[in-house]
Amino acid sequence: MAVQAPSQKARKDSPGISGAIEAVFSPRSVAVLGVTRTPGTVPYDIFHNILSSSYSGVLYPVAPGKRSIDSVRAYRYLTEIEDEVDLAVLVFPANVCEKALEHCVQKGVKAVIIISAGFREVGPQGASREKRIKEICDANGIAMIGPNCLGVINTDPAVSLNASFARKMPAKGHIAFLSQSGALCTAVLDYARGKGIGFSKFVSFGNKAGLTEMDLLEYLHDDEQTDVILLYLEELRNGRELIEVARRITRGAGAKPILAIKSGRTAQGARAAASHTGSLAGEDAICEAVFRDAGIIRVASIEELFNSAIMLAYQPLPKGDRLAIVTNAGGPGVMATDAAVRSGLGIAHFSDETAAKLRASLPAAANIKNPVDVIGDARCDRYMAAMEAVLADPAVDQMLVILTPQSMTDIEDIARGVREVHSRAEKPIACSFMGACDVAGGIDILQAAYIPHYILPEWACRAMTDVQRVIKWRCQPEEEPQAVPADQAAAAAIIDSLPAGYLREDQALAVLKAYGFSVPDYRLCRGVDEAVEFADRIGYPAVLRIVSPQVVHKFDVKGVALNLQSAKALRDAHRDMMAGVHAVVPDATIEGVIVRRMIPPGHEIILGAKRDAVFGPTLMFGLGGLFVEVFKDVTFALAPIGPAAAMRMIRDVKAYSVLEGARGTAPADVEAICQSLLRLSRLVTDFPRIAELDINPLLVWPVGQGGAVADVRIRLNGETQPQ
Amino acid sequence: MDNKEIQNRVVKVVCDVLGVDGEMVMPESNFVFDLGAESSQSIQLVAGFEEEFSIDMDNEAALAVQTVGDAVVFISKYVN
Repeated sequence: MAVQAPSQKARKDSPGISGAIEAVFSPRSVAVLGVTRTPGTVPYDIFHNILSSSYSGVLYPVAPGKRSIDSVRAYRYLTEIEDEVDLAVLVFPANVCEKALEHCVQKGVKAVIIISAGFREVGPQGASREKRIKEICDANGIAMIGPNCLGVINTDPAVSLNASFARKMPAKGHIAFLSQSGALCTAVLDYARGKGIGFSKFVSFGNKAGLTEMDLLEYLHDDEQTDVILLYLEELRNGRELIEVARRITRGAGAKPILAIKSGRTAQGARAAASHTGSLAGEDAICEAVFRDAGIIRVASIEELFNSAIMLAYQPLPKGDRLAIVTNAGGPGVMATDAAVRSGLGIAHFSDETAAKLRASLPAAANIKNPVDVIGDARCDRYMAAMEAVLADPAVDQMLVILTPQSMTDIEDIARGVREVHSRAEKPIACSFMGACDVAGGIDILQAAYIPHYILPEWACRAMTDVQRVIKWRCQPEEEPQAVPADQAAAAAIIDSLPAGYLREDQALAVLKAYGFSVPDYRLCRGVDEAVEFADRIGYPAVLRIVSPQVVHKFDVKGVALNLQSAKALRDAHRDMMAGVHAVVPDATIEGVIVRRMIPPGHEIILGAKRDAVFGPTLMFGLGGLFVEVFKDVTFALAPIGPAAAMRMIRDVKAYSVLEGARGTAPADVEAICQSLLRLSRLVTDFPRIAELDINPLLVWPVGQGGAVADVRIRLNGETQPQ
Repeated sequence: MDNKEIQNRVVKVVCDVLGVDGEMVMPESNFVFDLGAESSQSIQLVAGFEEEFSIDMDNEAALAVQTVGDAVVFISKYVN
């Protein structure tokens, strides 16, 4: 048999795999394996779709026992075809796909699309079947889409390939759509068709056993037909690779925006965990960080996905965020203004010249300030005058045209007017012809002219905001992680010597100290006399904290005594603590107490880290207390990070204004928090054995005064040798 | 009934149901990959074998049989 032994080399090292991807989208010949004669079945419909999509190459049906399919000569086996075959589409049942792939190898096929289901998604037997077909493809340099997918569509007229079982070939466009879900694809195609949206490429990649979203994104980056890439993902298997690939695509020369939906936002991803970070850093929260770090615009719905995509695909990027609104209805104009402001867009202030033009062409009752209200009885001429005037104003970066259908509103004429203005404009324009039936003709005119249209003005503002996110991302300077100074050897001496599990508090504090965190003087004291002696030396008020391997949450068992003003108070607290802990945890082995000075009050900050199986070390920042407990107001980033990323984490929490000095309090030493995040970033990057880490709280004082670690928990994983 | 007779009668049913020539049907022929059986025809094949041999087969197990040779072995357990 021609199938080679599975290669140990990574798929990407397979020679010619990138060239093979070309065969997925632009094959010179396609064979469909397993075609039937029964319309309405996947095998027949795929063959029929290719045949009826004006495919520019040669199509071969492989259908044992049949002379022809739809008058096209059929072959019993792929290997009987005399000519070369670039792409094979497998629609056989899963249990014969391996056999069919062997024929593909013998025939020298460059790429395969495996439509068939019955692989990883059905359980262990399917998973091992999938593993085998992947090995065959990897070993032979075959690019594979699927299995368990809808197929691939390329609308490029030079190819015109619909190798899918979607009902219709979509219109040509400049938006590419990649989806892990096949069923969603058909819904999206139908939705887009209704909105007059076309595609450059359309790919359902199913179980992504072969080509992944990363390979496809790379391909689309170079695809001249594609301007905007849309991605629907159900699972992320390699977040770091996605960041690396997406950054290359979304920045620099030839940058293309990527918009994505990642489902599972509300899944029960946040498992119960001993640490705050563990419970807050569910898959979705980390995905959010991955997408942000990758420059991917994450959206919540298909509606938003296409709303933003058409703005990016059809309109030039604005030079700024200042919006002008032209409307024939005051209420929607105000609503749009509110939405724009809420979304962070600027509202343009017109020049005197623009105001004069508007005054001259609009009735006295019209509002010539932004939003420009051309009044309910406005016809096309009034709209035209207003649109021309505001677009000519240098203080306007983009325009939103709102229309409500009054009896005298010449809707289609106004749409044609917008089209005319749009054809000359160098600034982005969006429209909202509000309603459904009366405005339908106008909307058709706008959509046919590639002018983004939104049923609600708020949606237009949202789309314009996403455009601003793209611009902001492109302008954001690249940042290298910053290597803060640290005594790595001192930390290693502790971490490397310990088994999996929680570090004792004094050990955890020592690790932080080695990495430059501000840690107050402390000592693990085995008895009360030693505790008093140490407290007398460092001064009062003092703090006592129980140290026991059975006690993780010290406050829960009354294992913390704060603000002890004297030796007597310390002795009393020690006695009560021992009794209290034994009462709650009778079998607790008490190793002693940590004694340290009471840290002056400050802003309570939580810093955390978690090693995620998919994403590696992740960092968390939040304000302590209610902000984290109730509002879950935290931000995440993948380590390592630099100062700018650290500052973004800090500023992105909703309660950031608290740190700036809300309600008369002194602004917090944000620089100290930033430095702590950088230290944490290096610590968890240096030590892969750190599974979870919580600094809760880090008490931060006013600007220039720094802060100090008040409590820390570090859990190590089971690997005994650091990587 | 000997295996030769079972095989001849299996081939006859296969040719009738799938509309293929007898010379295409070999013991190693896979019903789907080599003979082009569609999913609905797989059920027709099972029904055809039951009628031909006057037997009542476990349908789930019968549908899992992939080749003509395996079908002969499977049916012989019921016939003999």
